[in-house]
Amino acid sequence: MTTLLTPPAKSEQPSPSLGPVKKPKKVGRWILFAVMMIIAVIMLYPFWVMIITSLKSEAQFLAGTGFSWLSWSSLTSVIPIGQEVLSSTIVCSASILVILLVGLPAGFAFSKLRFRMSTMVFLLIVSAMMVPLQAILMTEFVNMTRLHLTGGYTGAILVYASLGTPFSVFLFTTYFRGVPDELIEAGIVDGLGYFGALWRLVVPIAVPAIATVTVLQFIQIWDDLLVGLFFIQNTSQRPITVGLAVLAAGRTTSIPELMAGSIISALPAMVVYLGFQRYLVKGLTMGIDR
Amino acid sequence: MADITFDGVTKIYADKIRAVDELSLHVADGEFMVLVGPSGCGKTTALRMLAGLEDITSGSLSIGGAVVNNVLPKDRDVAMVFQNYALYPHMTVAQNMGFALKIRGHSKFDIATKVSEAAAILRLTDYLDRRPKALSGGQRQRVAMGRAIVRSPQAFLMDEPLSNLDAQLRVEMRLEIARIQRLLGVATVYVTHDQIEAMTMGDRVAVMRGGKLQQCDTPQDLYDHPRNEFVAGFMGSPPMNLLRAGLDTTNGASLVLGTQRVAIPSSYATSHALPARDGLGVVFGIRPEDVQVVGADDDAGSLTTKVERREALGAEILVHLSLVDAAGTSTLVVNDDGAVVARPTTMVAKMGPRSGVAVGDQLRVRFNPDHFHFFDADSGDSLRKS
Repeated sequence: MTTLLTPPAKSEQPSPSLGPVKKPKKVGRWILFAVMMIIAVIMLYPFWVMIITSLKSEAQFLAGTGFSWLSWSSLTSVIPIGQEVLSSTIVCSASILVILLVGLPAGFAFSKLRFRMSTMVFLLIVSAMMVPLQAILMTEFVNMTRLHLTGGYTGAILVYASLGTPFSVFLFTTYFRGVPDELIEAGIVDGLGYFGALWRLVVPIAVPAIATVTVLQFIQIWDDLLVGLFFIQNTSQRPITVGLAVLAAGRTTSIPELMAGSIISALPAMVVYLGFQRYLVKGLTMGIDR
Repeated sequence: MADITFDGVTKIYADKIRAVDELSLHVADGEFMVLVGPSGCGKTTALRMLAGLEDITSGSLSIGGAVVNNVLPKDRDVAMVFQNYALYPHMTVAQNMGFALKIRGHSKFDIATKVSEAAAILRLTDYLDRRPKALSGGQRQRVAMGRAIVRSPQAFLMDEPLSNLDAQLRVEMRLEIARIQRLLGVATVYVTHDQIEAMTMGDRVAVMRGGKLQQCDTPQDLYDHPRNEFVAGFMGSPPMNLLRAGLDTTNGASLVLGTQRVAIPSSYATSHALPARDGLGVVFGIRPEDVQVVGADDDAGSLTTKVERREALGAEILVHLSLVDAAGTSTLVVNDDGAVVARPTTMVAKMGPRSGVAVGDQLRVRFNPDHFHFFDADSGDSLRKS
């Protein structure tokens, strides 16, 4: 009983040393908040400028005052924005599909199957994550040209898939290592093969990992200019980033129209990011506690 | 339903480790066979080979008379219950239980019927719509059982299914599994390292050590007639007392324990192949319940011991005794710090809860003459003639 009564007595008489300890903590929080606010302003300012500028006509932009929807209404006549958004969507979706279709079975195999040289092959694939796009761009361009794949979407999809697959293999392998072997073995004894176990047991519980790969690759591919510029030479199939670059490179560029186009271009990536944010954090931190 | 036969089954891993060595074992149809042994004895490997999750290096394994060495797990028609239950986390209890039937193309009606039947047996009817994470350990264990029984397989394979449960739940589930197995009458191979589970659940128990089968018998036979020192020491809680003893045949056979002697009843001379010459050692075994306290004046066949430690378990007391020499000194070998470094002649005796023994007391004890065990001092094999 004595020991139970002692702690409340202590708490009723807080140590005077607790006062000064609390103060720096509070000040620290305010400093942190201020720093974060400054960073947020720096990050969001370009978006603010984009939105404000897009809501002006060319003349209002030059004058610095006024409000107009003109740049938005004239955008479709300047560039085929709808077609370009569709192209970006097709390239993005197809590339991510290939990345997932390759990454999921590969991650499963590296984490759950025993085969010769698996560690070495895994390291080899993962080391490809370190190779930047610019380093292989020319060789890929030569390859794709020889294969006659630089006209439409195919070449770009293959390049994006090859660039994104190592990361997805790495992420899925890490994730699947945390899935108990018994779960897969239970499925196998129940009547599944390895592919069945992958698609019917492992994939349904790998949603955070799949979401992480999808979001990160979507943002990367949607925002990329270089691959689209090199590998999609058919102007009617170019993605939105290339369309905006062409608009920006014009002799008489309308800045409000360019800003309106940029907002349309940036919006999907932002929506995807904000929508899947909680999966992203979960997906990126998984494996840490295992 | 079918029987299971291991015929010289061996498993050697890539790193040359011989996990299972020439295992030959027959599990009859409807029999509850328990594989028991310490960690690394090969019991789980044997079970996994039976499930088809491990390749067999040599020997043959058959289920229902058909050799299944190269048959895929899904075609063996066996159901397995895993140590950590391995429930599918994204499925409800009903979906978990019906999954194997769904894969095999059973109709929805058939699946629902079988799942509800199994749920009734396992008292899971109220939980069919729940996900595994919303269940307690015992309920998860029952779902794992349910997943196995809805399939009506040829055999149940269970890999330490109770080891993640607390002690009380383990006792309940022990009875539950035994009840379900008897109800369904399916051949079952049950792996455990817990000899109490083995003794209470199995029709027969196979004791393994270092990949080799040591003995396979009914629980009572294993307890009463262990084939070697290892089985004697492994089965029973507390285990059998095993004492190194000399033999003296001068005036009838007697055991020499330290400076004291115990007469060996003449019946053992015919039932056991005791060494014929004096001085040759044996390992003498006696169960704790066969060590009995006698009065101080009882000289015939009794020994003087000293109480070294007592463990009160409520229903009984385990008393750790050491033999004393003629001067009354304990035979424990103690180092300079007072730590025991050797116990050449110590034993455990089971006593009644109200026996007033205290540490340091000297007790006269005798061994139940009907339950002596003798093992070869070198090989550890029982000297009992079969």
